[in-house]
Amino acid sequence: MRTSFMNLFYKSPFVNLIKHAEKVIDASRMFKEAVDLYLEGKYDLFEAITDQVARVESEADAIKRNIRGHMPRGVLMPVDKFQFFMYLREQDSVLDRVEEALYWLSNRHQAFDSEINEDLRFFVATTLPAMEKLKNLVEMASGFFRRGSEEERETIKSMIRDVRQLEHEADHLERELKRKIFNRITDAIQVYYLIRLVEIIGSIADHAQNATDMMRAMISR
Amino acid sequence: MSELFGVSADTLILIVAMLLACYMAANIGANDLANAMGTSVGSGALTVKQAVIVSFFLELAGASLAGGHVTNTIRKGLIDPALLSNSPELLLIGMFSALLAAGIWVHTATLLGLPVSTTHSIVGAVVGFGILAVGFFNVSWNMVFTVALSWVVSPLAGAIIAGAIFYLLDSKILRSAAPYRSAKSMAPYLLGTVVFVIVLSVIYKGLKNLGLNFDFLEALLIALPISLAGGFAGAALLSRLGGPQCRWIKGSEVEKVECVFGYLQIMTACYVAFAHGANDVANAVGPLAAIFSIAQTKSVVMQVEVPLWMLALGGSLVGVGLLIFGSRVMETIGRRITEITPVRGFCAEFGAATTVLLCSRLGLPISTTHVLVGSVIGVGLMRGMGVLDLRVIKNIMYSWLVTLPFTIILSMIIYRLLVWAIV
Repeated sequence: MRTSFMNLFYKSPFVNLIKHAEKVIDASRMFKEAVDLYLEGKYDLFEAITDQVARVESEADAIKRNIRGHMPRGVLMPVDKFQFFMYLREQDSVLDRVEEALYWLSNRHQAFDSEINEDLRFFVATTLPAMEKLKNLVEMASGFFRRGSEEERETIKSMIRDVRQLEHEADHLERELKRKIFNRITDAIQVYYLIRLVEIIGSIADHAQNATDMMRAMISR
Repeated sequence: MSELFGVSADTLILIVAMLLACYMAANIGANDLANAMGTSVGSGALTVKQAVIVSFFLELAGASLAGGHVTNTIRKGLIDPALLSNSPELLLIGMFSALLAAGIWVHTATLLGLPVSTTHSIVGAVVGFGILAVGFFNVSWNMVFTVALSWVVSPLAGAIIAGAIFYLLDSKILRSAAPYRSAKSMAPYLLGTVVFVIVLSVIYKGLKNLGLNFDFLEALLIALPISLAGGFAGAALLSRLGGPQCRWIKGSEVEKVECVFGYLQIMTACYVAFAHGANDVANAVGPLAAIFSIAQTKSVVMQVEVPLWMLALGGSLVGVGLLIFGSRVMETIGRRITEITPVRGFCAEFGAATTVLLCSRLGLPISTTHVLVGSVIGVGLMRGMGVLDLRVIKNIMYSWLVTLPFTIILSMIIYRLLVWAIV
């Protein structure tokens, strides 16, 4: 027997949001591997991983569409629906930027000097934790909206601060790296190629931070 | 008429009416009570077995101690039986038709998978035969209107009480610096309030069966010390039983709070079962009580109270319905509703049970399930629940719109047929 009581409970979109965040983690691990392979000059392997990232991105896209497609009017959420969708959009943009960075790299197979290589590796390594933190953040938020304790809210706030700090570091690195590129490289194509790459990688942390800003708005009291 | 009051016809009608009442009671247990207890199962405060045991005894107590008012409304509040004092057989046939019509509708709706309220079915059915038996204008439309109004007001009241309680717990416990300590210090008052509402609703003009009749002030004076004592005794027991375990539980402060409320929710589950017994048992027992009294006295007797044994029987049957058919519903609800934590479950149950008990005291037959839906939405509006599908409200309104005309017409048809066949 269907009862009006049972129908009252709508499946939580946070379950899918966590799945989406897991895709971000998958992509972040592949991203690091792909950049390493590229810098080592193993372009075939790099291309294979780029294809895998594209697959992960399209799977995440399907999850995103599923969340958006199952939030009809008349559903009451503990958070503002608009903020929730904004969060989702930013979390999805993180994946888009990862994919874009790898696509940009695959346009041209180019070796850099060892210092630039190291700087790029370090720069990528700085953006990864910001991406990976999103899953913890979403899981924590899902628990917070279920139980609503001040303790959990404080933990979420400190996670948001961590991501902000990481984004700040990534910004700083981006500026330094750009300066270095202009000073050390004279070939205009190479400069353009690298500057654009650095900007795309830098935007990954930006989107992660935008997502956490939305989370901050969602948990505000 | 003499044929109707012959021993065999009497016995036959009584047996069939008893069977129908049993069917209604079992149905109420299987669906309505299963929903109400499902919140406790969903939050993990009770297992399905414990829920069945708690329900059986508290439903019985609620029906026996506080179930008379609503039963009387259904028995003699919606239509004035005095108008039929010259032809008691018509009232008997009418109540029988009402029971049959409501039973058929509840059964059909269950088969079709429609959410339906037994309360709305029985009220519609009684009004239905009343229109034919005493005439359209002699139905107590004022009472019918009050009952219909209570169907709108009661979920709202549930929402307001549950939302307010959640707001209180959220600001005083969940957001406080030491949630576990706040939870323990608030526990006696929360327990005390529940005891207060139960005691007041039972003893204020409710113990006529035992020859005790207290007015409001007397009832208040008795209820206050009992509830205070009950609250502190309950809290002491709680800290004996649950306190140490909850204090040493591994995890965050809020998990300890949920642990404390897991125990408190056992009490609100009892509260829900008690309130449910006070209100919903009348749906099955109300018409049966009328039929029984006419068959026994062969006249329309106005003053006699509903016999205690009949209320107790109704309460037990609802419990049996839950045991036999409701376990599966509770399991399903328990599995599906993961959003309800003990704190939320406590608020929703507290709001729902208080509303249901107040309405029972006023003799208003309401739908426990709908009040519970209102209470959960009340907590949700305070940002306390997960995701709620408010389109349910629309479905509830549709179910009123379908149930009332259907049961009114069906009851009229059955009544006309029986009168034609028997009288």
